[in-house]
Amino acid sequence: MTPLGGTPDARAVRDLGSLLEVSKALAVLVELDPLLKVILDKATEVMEAERSTIFMHDEKLSVLRSHLSGQIKRDAVLLHLGVGIAGHVAKTLSLLNVPDAYADPRFNPKFDKETGFHTRNILCAPLLSRDGRLLGVIQLLNKRDSAVFSTEDETLLLAFASIAGVAIDRARLVAEVVESKRIEESLRLAHDIQMGMLPRAFPGRGVSVHATLQPARGVGGDFYDVLAQDGRVWFAVGDVSGKGMGSALFMAITLTLFRASVEGAVSPADVLTRMNRGLARDNERAMFVTVFIAVLDLGTGTVTCANGGHNPPYVLRETGVLECLKNADSPALGVLEEATYANTDFRLLPGDGLFLYTDGITEAQAPDESFYGVERLEALLRGLVSSSPAECVDRVVGDVNRFASGAPPADDLTALALRRPRG
Amino acid sequence: MDIREERREAIFIVAPKGRVDSNTSSALETSVLGHAREARLLVDLSGVEYISSAGLRVFLMLARKVKEAGGRLVLCSMGASVRQVFDLAGFTALFAVEASVEQGLSRLSL
Repeated sequence: MTPLGGTPDARAVRDLGSLLEVSKALAVLVELDPLLKVILDKATEVMEAERSTIFMHDEKLSVLRSHLSGQIKRDAVLLHLGVGIAGHVAKTLSLLNVPDAYADPRFNPKFDKETGFHTRNILCAPLLSRDGRLLGVIQLLNKRDSAVFSTEDETLLLAFASIAGVAIDRARLVAEVVESKRIEESLRLAHDIQMGMLPRAFPGRGVSVHATLQPARGVGGDFYDVLAQDGRVWFAVGDVSGKGMGSALFMAITLTLFRASVEGAVSPADVLTRMNRGLARDNERAMFVTVFIAVLDLGTGTVTCANGGHNPPYVLRETGVLECLKNADSPALGVLEEATYANTDFRLLPGDGLFLYTDGITEAQAPDESFYGVERLEALLRGLVSSSPAECVDRVVGDVNRFASGAPPADDLTALALRRPRG
Repeated sequence: MDIREERREAIFIVAPKGRVDSNTSSALETSVLGHAREARLLVDLSGVEYISSAGLRVFLMLARKVKEAGGRLVLCSMGASVRQVFDLAGFTALFAVEASVEQGLSRLSL
């Protein structure tokens, strides 16, 4: 029987002891890399092999990738399923005992040649998950003391492999949870940074302002801004194409460009032109942003505005009239470096207001997939012509959320209202 | 997203169907950008019921890539709501747009 184990019973007891030890060692490890190292070390020790290798199964590429034990530093070996001893085990999902490697046509002597190692015999078993999926293959080379792997060794390796399989499976699940937590955490951080970029306090004198931004998926591409400057107040609302991290970054660039462009700019069209040039340069991914900009002269009530492909805002006349600031057909920013933008002027009388928004409002969907739409928004705004900005924003956002009735919002939603105080 | 592809003589036709929003735009992107090197490309939008800004971006990228490769791109059969989204973003002028597949084909046959 075995040269070192004494009687069969003594060997069984020893093997059981080894498995228990392995099981305990693996139970505390939740990270894959240290886990694989322990599995390899223990396998080499328990199985009395000279060397062992774990090949992990890459499901996407359908290959096996080596994970070597000991101090050997070299590139991972890639094996196709069905090729070589390990590949054969991965394909058949059953153990293989090769007493004479060089006599087996499936054995590839290439690695021996490269490393100077001489493979005499091989014992190889699949590592399976609880539901029978292939996780990898464990391969032991050369039973020590010039022996070959016995049927007892086969039984022991199968038991060992099932313990290792459970541990690897668990490590993978833990890694997935950790990764999704990490992504969630970085999205939350990005959301906080993004929200931190938006103004929360608004100029109190000469105009009252209220705004809200409700992101769809953690981080988004909407933004608004309010900047007071020498008796004038600048307003901007914008919407970056798409959503997620890329849109959030583009939004941050857009907002930064807006603030930089307002310095020394004469008009909103001027600001849009500057922003567009900055955004269109090297914009490989064709990201774009729709932006509406208005500047209010607090003394005269004159509003100058320009629109880069954005939903037309509304003027709320205290007299009860709702006016839509129709587009001048200028393109969204970031697409055409040479695009030009035009200004429109009008006057806000004391008591008049403006309502700026993004398409997250009009394109909000009810569970039956119908859209909130412009008509519904206009009907609501007609009843809000003399309401405060805060009431205006809250009523619209509340109505949209009721309309969507709990359906997860598909897009960011922004509303900004302002009003010239009476007298 | 269901995307039909068809070659009619020298013209390659791509016809996406359904909603083009941020959930489906990457599938459309992969599909249409794969044909950006076609010399004559027609995109039939009759099956598109909704397009978001993420969807518009795909067509901007496509137009850019087709231009770089020296090809020609025509969009056709836009529904009213899709047309409105192109118009609102100010992008309609950036594309060759035709009312029907036949008109699109004849424009590309010139």
